[in-house]
Amino acid sequence: MAVNTVAIEVSGLHKKFGRTTALAGLDLQVEQGTVAGFLGPNGSGKSTTIRILLGLLKSDGGSATLLGGDPWRDAVDLHRRIAYVPGDVSLWPNLTGGQAIDILSRLRGGVDNALRDSLLERFELDPTKKARSYSKGNRQKVALVAGLASNAELLILDEPTSGLDPLMEQVFTSCIREVKAEGRSVLLSSHIFAEVEKLCDTVTIIRDGRTVESGRLDALRHLHRTTVSVVLDRDAAILASVAGINDLVLDGANATFTVGEAELGAVLLALSAYAPRSLLSSPPSLENLFLRHYAGTGLGAVDATAPGSTSQIAGAQ
Amino acid sequence: MVGAVQTPRGRARSLTGSGTMTGFLLSVRFILRRNWLQLALWAAVLAVMIPVVYDSQQQAFPTQAARDAYAQVANTPAVAAMTGLPYAAGSLGGILVIKIWMTLAVALSFASVFLVTRNGRADEETGRSELLKSSVMGRHAYSAANYVVAGALSIVSGLLISLLCLSVRLPTAGSLLMGASIAGTGLAFVGLAAVCGQLSSTSRGTNSLGVGLIALFYFIRAGADLQSNGVDPAALSWFSPIGWAQNMRPFGQDTWWPLLALLALAVGGCVMALRIETNRDLGMGLLPERRGPARASAFLREPVGLALRLQRGSLLGWLVGAVVAGAFFGGVAQAMTNALDPSNALAKSFVGSSSSMLDGVLGIFALVNGLLAGAFAVQSLSTARSEEEAGRLEAQLAGALSRYTWLGAHVLVAAAGSGLMLLIGGYLAGASSNGAATGSAMAGASLAYWPAVLLMMGVLLFLNGFLPRFSVSLTWAVYGISVLVSMFGALFSLSEAAIAATPFGAVPRLPAENFMLLPLLVLSVLAVALAILGVWQFRRRDLASE
Repeated sequence: MAVNTVAIEVSGLHKKFGRTTALAGLDLQVEQGTVAGFLGPNGSGKSTTIRILLGLLKSDGGSATLLGGDPWRDAVDLHRRIAYVPGDVSLWPNLTGGQAIDILSRLRGGVDNALRDSLLERFELDPTKKARSYSKGNRQKVALVAGLASNAELLILDEPTSGLDPLMEQVFTSCIREVKAEGRSVLLSSHIFAEVEKLCDTVTIIRDGRTVESGRLDALRHLHRTTVSVVLDRDAAILASVAGINDLVLDGANATFTVGEAELGAVLLALSAYAPRSLLSSPPSLENLFLRHYAGTGLGAVDATAPGSTSQIAGAQ
Repeated sequence: MVGAVQTPRGRARSLTGSGTMTGFLLSVRFILRRNWLQLALWAAVLAVMIPVVYDSQQQAFPTQAARDAYAQVANTPAVAAMTGLPYAAGSLGGILVIKIWMTLAVALSFASVFLVTRNGRADEETGRSELLKSSVMGRHAYSAANYVVAGALSIVSGLLISLLCLSVRLPTAGSLLMGASIAGTGLAFVGLAAVCGQLSSTSRGTNSLGVGLIALFYFIRAGADLQSNGVDPAALSWFSPIGWAQNMRPFGQDTWWPLLALLALAVGGCVMALRIETNRDLGMGLLPERRGPARASAFLREPVGLALRLQRGSLLGWLVGAVVAGAFFGGVAQAMTNALDPSNALAKSFVGSSSSMLDGVLGIFALVNGLLAGAFAVQSLSTARSEEEAGRLEAQLAGALSRYTWLGAHVLVAAAGSGLMLLIGGYLAGASSNGAATGSAMAGASLAYWPAVLLMMGVLLFLNGFLPRFSVSLTWAVYGISVLVSMFGALFSLSEAAIAATPFGAVPRLPAENFMLLPLLVLSVLAVALAILGVWQFRRRDLASE
């Protein structure tokens, strides 16, 4: 694979803080021109990975390549080509938001004034207020405007919408779509499934410092079963004999079950014989995918994938 | 107050009331828990000065004849300006007041301001008091507890001072008034600091206002003491709470009633602060938050410009301090030289081995300039550490900024600022000395301390690389020891070689001593070596934010 088609290439990344292991062989790939979602529970190592990619932390093992360069050694040169938005923005309390934007933008090699002004307007941010009087959401907007006002090839966003209201989240979504349309790449760490589903081409789910699932979002969906709820004209127990139906839950004429992609056609054919009065089919949501991997960590529920086993899915197209 | 609402925790509530003071006792305990070490240290250090200074004065003036002789020469403008108009200088109690009263009163005032800010505005700024006030806690409970704890420090310190005065058999009334006048000054500044905490919306601003008031009232009373008729200070003295406390005159007239004025200021200030607090929003100050420019200037966008902007206020404050100190030193140099008895062993150890007492005094001034510049340099460079701790460095380094450039900008501001302080303070000390020394000679004498200042920065840079979390506190410890040894080493009968082995003690004390290049070179080389090691390690280590 040619170097210039990959924006971020991380494999087997390790990082320890004293005795705590933060990363234990993490893999992450972001192709150029795509938006990559980066999901994981709190403390699973997302921010550590991002800080290593920014050259703020030094990895203990594994490899990381950012825009073809070494994130630690070539930090300064690489940072001319990237923009970073942290999830917890700390600003200089006695400077204004506008000054902070200019300082941060200058460090990325300058600011596009027209773009800056239009972003200030879209995010409804008053740049003349001192940073100490900003709320969490407004501090976040400062970092977003500074990050988006640059023409960086790669945007690294660490929970960028925390503290934003839903309207501002929409503004953010459309900004990222514009970035993608310009062929730039984005790494988006987020806890908001809807945001990731709307924006991301690929998704990497990590847990305990390891990648547990990664691939194109549509391909991941194919791998998992669709959930179907039906109401039949008779006792739904009859479905128990239909091949391809799993996880069947019965309640008189009502039934809920899951079905794999390959069996969906045959199952629908079988269902039609029982004259269903209503049928609701929900595709596997990102939330379902995600919770399956979260589950083992704290909720004590089924652990679908053993830590360390990575299901890599080839790109669909 | 009576608990109006019955709750499962009714017993706890009835203990503390249920109005605006609910949770007062809990707050007091909480504040004591957070500050007990600091409080104990302040009280102990202030009180222990009494027997220490009393002993040294008893040795310096062992007989009544010696004390009477001292009383003839005690009243000089320099003494009046710095420590207050001498009175009763023929008694040990009166001498004790001349030597230590002002230091204790001003130190306790600083303690009051810092404590009230630390548990008041600083907590509010960081959002901690929001969390507290959202629980079962009355509107005034936490602030009132803060004022009470800070006031208690003054009262306990005053009691200890009185007891220690009594223990060395000083007159009873004078001993009690000694403690009461110092405690009264501290209490007055609790009241003033409480109001400052309502005016400004930041802890930095609150501390600046409080320290500014201490300086203002100190200079007002200095003016009054200088304009005295030889017996009483000028009427201007009554415009300063420090002046009120001085006019209690322990071991002299023993006047009680100014204490009432000090207590009235303390209580009045605290009550006013609580009333303002009721009428303002959490997190806001009475002084309006001003809007600022929407754009950063081209200079501010540069790393040096940002470093300078972040320290603009503190740099200006230190430069004003250097100007005031320089002009003051020059003005009192001749008077102080005349006041010092060349045969006095204490004076001799203080000004060094110089044959000329005037040169010795000028040498001390140059050293004080150097120490001030050193304090500025450490404080200035520790901004770099706080930028990293607060996470603001992360956002900067995520841009195309190398760690070298960023740290270099902070080093440049600290180095240039301290050099400027030395030049200005030294030049003014010479220029205002009525011919005792030239401006350029004193500027040179002060600038000789620059390598020692740079070494302090080297220590901080080294520790910032290898032990970032403790770098600032350890550097201050190194600085503190250097100050003690270079200022008072001779008093503690340390050998000259031992004193010369510390950063500020190594510098030739111009004009009292001859200029030597070697120690300055050694200091510079050490400073650069430590800085290079520290910066090299800083480039290699992980960022450590909180």
